[in-house]
Amino acid sequence: MATLLKTPRSWPKVTLGRVTANGELLPFAKAEKAGAWAAWRQVADREAPDTVIRQIGQAGLRGRGGAGFRAAEKWRRCQATEASQKYVVANGYEADPGTFTDRLLMERDPHAVIEGIAIAAYAVGATKAIVAVNAGYAKAIERLRGSIAQATEAGLIGIDAMDGALTLDVEVRPVQGAFLLGEETVLLRALEGKRGMPEQRPPYPAERGLFGKPTLVHNVETLATVPWIVANGHAAFARIGAAGSPGTKLVQLAGAVARSGVAEVPLGTPLGEIVERAGGGMRDGVKMKLAIVGGPLGGLLPAEKMDLSLDFDSLREAGATLGSGSIVVADESTCVVDLGRLLERFASDEACGKTIPCRIGLKRLVEIADRFAAGHHRPQDRELLVELANDVIASGLCNHERLAPDPLLSGLRYFAAEYDAHLDEGRCPAGVCHPVTVAPSSPAAAKKARVTA
Amino acid sequence: MIRIPGMGLAKGMATTLIRFFQRKATIQYPEVRQEVSPHHRGRLVLLYDEWGALKCETCFQCAAACPIECIDMGGVDTKNRYHIHWGPPEQYAERREESALRRSGRPVPDRTFIPFDPIDVGPLNRILEEEDYDPGHMLAILEKTQAAYAHLHVAALKHISHATGAWYAQIYGTASYYEHLRFELPAGHAIGLCRCPSCTLLGGGRLREALEAAAGASLPGTSSDGALSLVAIDCHGDSPTEPYVTLDREVQHGVSAKSIAKLATNLRAAAARPGRA
Repeated sequence: MATLLKTPRSWPKVTLGRVTANGELLPFAKAEKAGAWAAWRQVADREAPDTVIRQIGQAGLRGRGGAGFRAAEKWRRCQATEASQKYVVANGYEADPGTFTDRLLMERDPHAVIEGIAIAAYAVGATKAIVAVNAGYAKAIERLRGSIAQATEAGLIGIDAMDGALTLDVEVRPVQGAFLLGEETVLLRALEGKRGMPEQRPPYPAERGLFGKPTLVHNVETLATVPWIVANGHAAFARIGAAGSPGTKLVQLAGAVARSGVAEVPLGTPLGEIVERAGGGMRDGVKMKLAIVGGPLGGLLPAEKMDLSLDFDSLREAGATLGSGSIVVADESTCVVDLGRLLERFASDEACGKTIPCRIGLKRLVEIADRFAAGHHRPQDRELLVELANDVIASGLCNHERLAPDPLLSGLRYFAAEYDAHLDEGRCPAGVCHPVTVAPSSPAAAKKARVTA
Repeated sequence: MIRIPGMGLAKGMATTLIRFFQRKATIQYPEVRQEVSPHHRGRLVLLYDEWGALKCETCFQCAAACPIECIDMGGVDTKNRYHIHWGPPEQYAERREESALRRSGRPVPDRTFIPFDPIDVGPLNRILEEEDYDPGHMLAILEKTQAAYAHLHVAALKHISHATGAWYAQIYGTASYYEHLRFELPAGHAIGLCRCPSCTLLGGGRLREALEAAAGASLPGTSSDGALSLVAIDCHGDSPTEPYVTLDREVQHGVSAKSIAKLATNLRAAAARPGRA
């Protein structure tokens, strides 16, 4: 179930400020009283599109979808492109199979998402918006549709809404069927009714996106942050979090922590502090070995690295990624080699097949990692793995293949001793894999081994 | 003109003599090979790999890239069911008559319908009407079609292609990409397993390997006897303490690698011998 974790009072709430504890949706009048749609009224009444974009730029808002692209840059580019039709697409697909941060946000505060879309559409001059939601999230779809209907009825969006300030048609579109739909160009292809494969960038979707028209694609969390920035000012937002990545991020804690669930965390908070203060520390009697940060394509960070701060740049440097914002904590019984191999298999299964390094390179990486775990590795395998992984990253068309080798590379980087034990000594310290293929010591032993096999 | 006897012969021999001392045009193939332009592609052939399998994986990239659109890919899939064509039918000589017929407004008989089971297109026409015959709504059309017919018939895809104007190859490409769209009736049972990092940590990897071995298929996929399909499902945090496993959409608890293999084997055995297992 989608649990919301209690966080310290000192952690500011940007996206989950209006969320009730019991998960019930506020009626429209109450939501408005709590602050929903105030920012949009303010923008529509007295702010020019350029002012809004400047505010977002000064706030330093970066995309919450994982890549951390500067939002204002996208907006400016989209605004500057001349076109007969522009789109805003909110990505609520939440590709990571283990997270529910976006679902929680869309279910409990759909108004924030729709309001963010309205402000963004006003700023870039879009008249059509699509919220792409995972088809499995029936409740979120229903609530988003409900809030769109309420806002249209109140005259906040729709045809010539707010005294002609904005004409905006918002549609909720359920999508499903592939992990890659979380990637922006893939999602656009799916919304066009085509095979979901990424496109070469540039041109960015902000210039040529959905049906060839300028399209502003943002994660729902990014859009839900926009009304808060407008209402409270960019300076207040820039004060929260780390210098390069201001604001908060919805983080999902899972694995061997005492409490698993979603928490809103200011960026720049050390990982260890998140685990301690939001997750209540480790489960009784287990010791942390590593954390998988950033979902299935994330990196494996050891317990010593828990002083690392949660922001886009420092995680990327450490070989992980902010990604979906999931932090899965593993205890001492985990084998890094085995875990890396299984995560790599997921990445390889979900490759769309458009580029060859991704389609075939990831398969080969899985095979090499399988050999590590089974003990059938060849002498050059470790070098081959690193070289191939770097080639796959260098020739990446989308972030899937740029991030896919991370579980293996970060494992090799931080847990070299464990890889050594598998490769050189033929043993698994955690006792998970059975890499032992010891050469028979004598002809008799070889015969015996054959008989028992 | 005065005819001198033997003049023609002399002229002929003179030509022979001149040619005899000129540069030879003959190339001693295969020892000597003529230089060809780097742009020369020669005859278009499909290459085979060392095991005798076709190297072509019908990605259509050659057909899409061909500047003069001389490459056309046509054929059927391995089960001899789905016809694939790149490009509008007007391009091919064998379809020119058909094209003329279509432009005249008369109904066009389509031979590719004949090998397939015909379907009642009534519900499909209603779906297309709802979606405005818009190829941009292809996913919605395909999803509704699957809901109406339980799976995507070839005849249905053909009909969609005719009605919307989208190329069959493109519709086939879309339909084969998304995991929830299928070309065959669903298998008797479906076992779902989540592959997220949290479930993997809790032993999902072992479960997957045991399940795949017992079903004889990889996840996602269907076992060769068609009795059991393995689907990738998303737990979205619903199962913090054990791997998320479902059987026909019902969540299963306390599943081990041994028990999931047994479950898969039993389901397959029950389908093979109805009423006995």
